[in-house]
Amino acid sequence: MSGKIYVAHDALSGLLDDLSKKFRVWIPQMMDQASGHIAFGVYAPGKKPELTRRSRLSPKKILFPSTDTLFKFTHVKDPKDPVRYTIDLKESFDNGPTLVFGARPCDTRGFQTFDQVFLKGQYKDVYYERRRQNTLFATLVCQDSDTACFCSSVGSGPADMTGSDMAVIPIEGGYVIEGLTDAGRKLVEASGSAPSPEQAAEAEQIKQKTAAMKVGEDDLTGYADDLTRRFTDMDFWREQVSPCITCGICTWVCPTCYCFSITDEASGMSGERMRSWDSCMFYLYTLEARGHNPRPTKMERYRNRVGHKFSYFPKKYDGMVSCCGCGRCIRTCPVSIDIRKVVKELKETADDRA
Amino acid sequence: MSSKSDAKQEREIKIVGFLCNWCSYGGADTAGVCRFRQPTDLRIIRIPCTGRIDPLMIVKSLIQGADGVLVSGCHPNDCHYAVGNFYARRRMEVLKRFLPYMGFQSERFRYTWVSASEGQIWQQVVTDFSETIHRLGPNPGLHQTVDSAPAVSWF
Amino acid sequence: MDDKTNALREHVKGIFSNLELVLGWEPGYDPLHTRPFYVRTESDIDRLTANCLSVHNLTRYLAKSMNAVDPAADGRKIGVCVKGCDSRSLVALIQEKFVSRDRVYVIGLPCRGTLDARRIRALVPDPARIRSVNAEGDELVVETDQGISRFALDRAIARKCLQCRYPNPVIHDVLIGDPVTPRLKIDAENPSVAAVEALSLEDRLLFWENQLDRCIRCFACRNACPLCVCQNHCIMETRMPKWLTQYRNMNEKFMFHMIHALHLAGRCTECGECERVCPVGIPVALIKEKINAIIYEMLDYESGIDPEAVPPLLTFSPKETGI
Repeated sequence: MSGKIYVAHDALSGLLDDLSKKFRVWIPQMMDQASGHIAFGVYAPGKKPELTRRSRLSPKKILFPSTDTLFKFTHVKDPKDPVRYTIDLKESFDNGPTLVFGARPCDTRGFQTFDQVFLKGQYKDVYYERRRQNTLFATLVCQDSDTACFCSSVGSGPADMTGSDMAVIPIEGGYVIEGLTDAGRKLVEASGSAPSPEQAAEAEQIKQKTAAMKVGEDDLTGYADDLTRRFTDMDFWREQVSPCITCGICTWVCPTCYCFSITDEASGMSGERMRSWDSCMFYLYTLEARGHNPRPTKMERYRNRVGHKFSYFPKKYDGMVSCCGCGRCIRTCPVSIDIRKVVKELKETADDRA
Repeated sequence: MSSKSDAKQEREIKIVGFLCNWCSYGGADTAGVCRFRQPTDLRIIRIPCTGRIDPLMIVKSLIQGADGVLVSGCHPNDCHYAVGNFYARRRMEVLKRFLPYMGFQSERFRYTWVSASEGQIWQQVVTDFSETIHRLGPNPGLHQTVDSAPAVSWF
Repeated sequence: MDDKTNALREHVKGIFSNLELVLGWEPGYDPLHTRPFYVRTESDIDRLTANCLSVHNLTRYLAKSMNAVDPAADGRKIGVCVKGCDSRSLVALIQEKFVSRDRVYVIGLPCRGTLDARRIRALVPDPARIRSVNAEGDELVVETDQGISRFALDRAIARKCLQCRYPNPVIHDVLIGDPVTPRLKIDAENPSVAAVEALSLEDRLLFWENQLDRCIRCFACRNACPLCVCQNHCIMETRMPKWLTQYRNMNEKFMFHMIHALHLAGRCTECGECERVCPVGIPVALIKEKINAIIYEMLDYESGIDPEAVPPLLTFSPKETGI
């Protein structure tokens, strides 16, 4: 078989119904009509996937939940000597078969960043690893870029299928879904019927055309050393970062931000150890116990954020820029700070600014 | 809320009471010394003065599942710290009017003034409030997920 | 707000030598966005804009990002551009002594309304094609690469603007533009609050739970609020005492918003920034508007009008009765 199927628009929910018998299927959905808020949610019959508009929040939470119970603990008193107790630990894993349907290349690319940090290297993050192994990605070939998108600027693109198991290509009347990995092909072939030669040709043409599109005019991949050079230029950082309100929205919506905090939430004799998202934009992020804070103002913190994505991460991981170019930070920033502008202006020299 | 029969009330009603140390706690003590009997649903927390109460303490109690919250302090003009209950009176009233807007039953929150010698009044207050809470039933708390909700449009 | 860019630039050029810096707006990353901008030198002045996209409340920076209390050594002031709603926030900051009146030079801009980016998307099918937007009187003029369309301004402005009672700055050293007639009288009922109160008690709870369920506890509403000055030391993030845990369930989200709203009781000036910045579109300002209505009804007080007034929950009156 060709590893491709065709699904008409009105047959899409039927396909998702079938898939949800085998997987927990996540789709981008309209969460609230009044505010137009689109985010990823679990598919249930009757829920309509939103595939023509971008989601505000990334699908990061599917593999990296905003709060994640690592284990539960209970203090159990020794009945013979109640002063003594043992601690009973119960691991907590949530890793059933999962399918992410309708993410875009920028979303899936976000997980490439996670993979470098959580899977490669000496210590693996077991929680992420188990979820990752059990998740398949059916990624849209993206036709819906806007003024904030810049995936091509960071080494990706609107048809970049790195890390995806299936490509979902929008054509006239519906979608052609193409399996890319073994698991993807197997699933595709079991889920529907092949497209006609015309449909397959149209899909291929759309895929090629999209792959040739440049979303974002600049190339932002070579700025690692420029950041180092500009590290202490506080006038530059003041100019760029003055409007920032350190709310952290950029880090919450970002598909590649992976910082977390671990806390114990207990009451009485039992509780849970939880991992939850943390943000480098907060004052508390680097606040030390004795009161010293190496990043006391938003300038140092934003410098760290840009530095991490465009300088420290590429230097550590073979030039791979951690940012995926989705533009969510730009769109959701309350004061429209544009990370592209900050990075590009790293190249200007102090003389240029005279 | 639908009233539940006694047979259905499986868990006991818990009413949280914030009592000021000087008047109301003294009043409760007086009620005890005089052997007045009152319902036992009230769990008292002693605070120095009602002026110390943050309205958020009441909100947190209700969200965490307290069936009722009672605040009691010195009569206005008799505050042990002179002006504490003047502050409290404004904050409590604002909270009382605000709770129904967010969907909470404001009858689950009451604030009164009971002085140290008013043991009998204390008995009445506790009995009356406990009866109100029993009538309202256990606090259902917040829905942890919402399947459908009314839409409101303002455009 | 009608376009006042040129008039603003002219004025600032004339007065800049007396000012240490001016808080204003400059164009953003696309024709639908502007961003806050610090004018620090003369050459910066030509980057200023002031129009219907100037949504940001710049007074937020006065208390949280700089010292606006102590006079500068050279006596120069901090200039700040304010719309009607922003000017109330400034007065509220002065009331609570987070800003000294003498330290700021207030450039007032009467305003008919600012655009809501989400509502624009509903009006123009492909917002990526927009070249410019402009408010002209009661109309919004949108230029796309297919030509010009006109819409009633009311279809594009923010919720708070539709019920605006203070379009003209209540404090200013200069007023740029003519005063605007308010849409609602000062003591008018708040229509959005009334819409929520029209629901039954059970429905109100469901409404708020449904809205607050989307909350991701990003803290943007807190950070954007001019009056939430505790920002880096906020009780919502402290673990001693532990008002909030790290759980992301309904109880925690609801409590978060109750804390935020109640800490602003009697202080909030309805600038609407909290609602604008919310990434998931929760109408958070609507919670505070009800508390403001209660305080107005109970104590005949509105925050941000009289710089000498003390916020009512920070004071008392021994003679009050009826409570």
